[in-house]
Amino acid sequence: MVKEIEKTGLPVVHMCNLVPISLTVGTNRIVPTISIPYPLGDPAAPQEEQWKLRYHRVGVALDALAADVKEQTVFKVKI
Amino acid sequence: MRLEIGNFPVREVRFGETTAYSNGILTINKEEALKVVMEDEHITEADLVIACPGDPVRIVPVKEAIEPRVKVSGGTMFPGVTNELVPVGWGRTHALKGVDVLVVGKHWGGFQDGLIDMSGPGAKHTFYSSLKHICLVADTDEEFERYEQQKKNHALRWAGHRLAEYIATCVKDLEPETLEVYELPPITQRSPEVNALPGVVYVMQLDSQMEEDGYNALVYGWDSNHMLPTFMHPNEVLDGAIVSGSFMPCSSKFSTYCHQNNPTIKRLYQEHGKTINFLGVIMSNLNVNLEEKTRSALFVAQIAKSLGAVGAIVAEEGYGNPDVDFIKCIVALEEAGIKTVGITNECTGRDGRSQPLVALDERADALVTTGNVSELIELPPMPIVIGELEALARDGLSGGWEGCVRPDGSIIMENNAMFCGDTICGFSRKRMAEF
Amino acid sequence: MKKGILYINQFFGQIGGEEMADYEPEIREGLVGPATFLQQQLKDIEITHTIICGDNFMGSRKEEAVQRIMGFLQDKEIDIFFAGPAFRAGRYGVACGTICHEVNQKLNIPAITSMNEENPGVEMFRYTDIYIFKGGKSAAQMKEDIKAMARFANKLVHGEPLLPAAEEGYFGRGKRHEIYPEDGPMAADRVVDMLLKKLRGEPFQTELPMPKTERIPIAPPIKDLSRATIALVTSGGIVPHENPDRIQSASATRWGKYDIAGMDSLSPEIFKTIHAGYDPNAANEDPNRVVPLDALRAYEKEGKIGKVYDYFYTTVGTGTTQGEAARMGREIARELLEAGVDGVILTST
Repeated sequence: MVKEIEKTGLPVVHMCNLVPISLTVGTNRIVPTISIPYPLGDPAAPQEEQWKLRYHRVGVALDALAADVKEQTVFKVKI
Repeated sequence: MRLEIGNFPVREVRFGETTAYSNGILTINKEEALKVVMEDEHITEADLVIACPGDPVRIVPVKEAIEPRVKVSGGTMFPGVTNELVPVGWGRTHALKGVDVLVVGKHWGGFQDGLIDMSGPGAKHTFYSSLKHICLVADTDEEFERYEQQKKNHALRWAGHRLAEYIATCVKDLEPETLEVYELPPITQRSPEVNALPGVVYVMQLDSQMEEDGYNALVYGWDSNHMLPTFMHPNEVLDGAIVSGSFMPCSSKFSTYCHQNNPTIKRLYQEHGKTINFLGVIMSNLNVNLEEKTRSALFVAQIAKSLGAVGAIVAEEGYGNPDVDFIKCIVALEEAGIKTVGITNECTGRDGRSQPLVALDERADALVTTGNVSELIELPPMPIVIGELEALARDGLSGGWEGCVRPDGSIIMENNAMFCGDTICGFSRKRMAEF
Repeated sequence: MKKGILYINQFFGQIGGEEMADYEPEIREGLVGPATFLQQQLKDIEITHTIICGDNFMGSRKEEAVQRIMGFLQDKEIDIFFAGPAFRAGRYGVACGTICHEVNQKLNIPAITSMNEENPGVEMFRYTDIYIFKGGKSAAQMKEDIKAMARFANKLVHGEPLLPAAEEGYFGRGKRHEIYPEDGPMAADRVVDMLLKKLRGEPFQTELPMPKTERIPIAPPIKDLSRATIALVTSGGIVPHENPDRIQSASATRWGKYDIAGMDSLSPEIFKTIHAGYDPNAANEDPNRVVPLDALRAYEKEGKIGKVYDYFYTTVGTGTTQGEAARMGREIARELLEAGVDGVILTST
């Protein structure tokens, strides 16, 4: 799916936990998430922390869409 | 550790006054057997039905298969699950061969359940069409999951384990027809000849992807999601320490019968002392996030290396994202200098053109594959159905969908819902080819 | 009796050599050139016509050639199509592949050709649904190559079970399916035998050669985020509770789009997941963990982005074939492009 969207020339960022799969498929912009069942918010963590993490990683994803990348890139996240 | 398995081949199963085995005929007192099943008050109705290879029978939804066995000495059957938590893999176990207890939902199925055809064109799709089945067909009051796609099937699966042990109790004091001996001394106490052979480990990646308890494969009763890879004696696997889970799409699953009879372990035993030094089993799992996947791979490689392994076989009980665990584990072993072969199934899609595993690596250069989970299978109606055919279409079985059961009883399904269709434990003669 | 038609070039059509390579497509009743030998090898298939076309005509005026040939076929009864054999002749091989593929796709009938492995037509067309048999280097192998094509055609029309590509003799088409050798070795023996070979340093054959992956050119970045419309897409199966588009829980073939205009976040009162490949509890409790509408809205309010697109798109990623995923991806991409979306965040579980 990611590839078909990118083929049209639309920049797309893949937010996923299993980075190796995304790399194997050939995705160009990747932002890691924390797990498969809850990519952007660990239910065991307080609401406040979940929000911080989600807000941060979505921000990284937006910056990735605006980043001029030359090769497959996994963007670094801080939290 | 030395384990003796005394075999009692079963030529015929019938119901009768007492549960007994004589000259290959297994007789079951149905009433008494059902009492063992009904010990769990959650079971609301239950019946036993016999199905044999060649019968015009379709069985669905199948939840679990267990070989009837009893411990004669050394431990208990299914420790930490239906019996006291004590070590197994030693002493004497008696087993009824060619037969299993098959746990079947009277009405309700789920994502993890499967189908077996005992004859006709569907029979070739699973090894389980070659066994005689004592089908426990039952329903429960587990209302919390009746309409859930994912079912723990707790009451039914545990009833199956109790029933299997009850039936086998009739051969506890008899003399078996044949005796198999599985013995591997401690690694540091093997002869110089054996130690000179290449050390090999068998790595099992158990289905363990549910975070909630009750769905995953159990290791001595412990949820395999909550463990790090650990070293086990192969005899423990053969002797009931591992109980199958209730989560993975069915064709990818190892039933408890698969563990009890794991043909890869048996073959490694045959090679032991001749071509290899079989060091043992590294019991691992399949995880839901990258860090856990990486951690398990790292532990497996470390244990293998510390044991002095130079060769490894990795078996994956699943497909999809678990392919990442599988490939990571193979790569970690190869990087540790251990020559590794993997065994798994593929998901190439109905058209056969999807990437076979979702993660790949050039270092995974030796793979055996046993099926395509999304192979489309069309089967004619079957005169007799044990269970409920509509479950395949209605209850979200991984290879079924709304409308896949036609009014005339013919079906169209994906291999996903074939009960242990790919037998990644090693029974499969089925393989993949390019067209 | 089934009906077949054979395509050949100007040389084998006995029109002429290189000087006649611009020869216009024509159709003749009956057998021309190699068609005679092909007919002798076929059972219950009658070659009714032979099509002849110059290699350069097909090469330089492909669309016209294809259109004219498809026109010839319009009123013909036809069950199976043949082309070649083309040996190592590059232009001829590509022509055979082109017309076989067209006929196969448009008329939905089997198309069989034959080429040498060096022929560029092999790599161009082997991954379509046509059959390209492994042929000889030159016309000296004409009879052998035609026999192989005919043998397979006979099997096809008689509905006989087909063997894997390597055994039938055609180039594998990248379609991996199950086979059921009754007396074949058990997987346990295959895996241990492979390990023993690997340990001894002997050659072994993996059952799963690593496929090549296709690389997509990197899309240019968004120039001005603050004016960009960003869309959310997920393979995590988040849908309204009633799952109005009946998206399947696994092996999905359907996708849905749901209005999120005016919503600050995805409410668990309205949305849940129907994805059967992961533990649904966390997603059902708070769907924003899978589709982060709340965070994206916050960036919209701050002005980091121009706008959150009014709909999010959803399907289920488990067990879904690449073919289906690609089709759904194309359909979704087309809508996003038409709606003037500038960038996409795709979340997976």
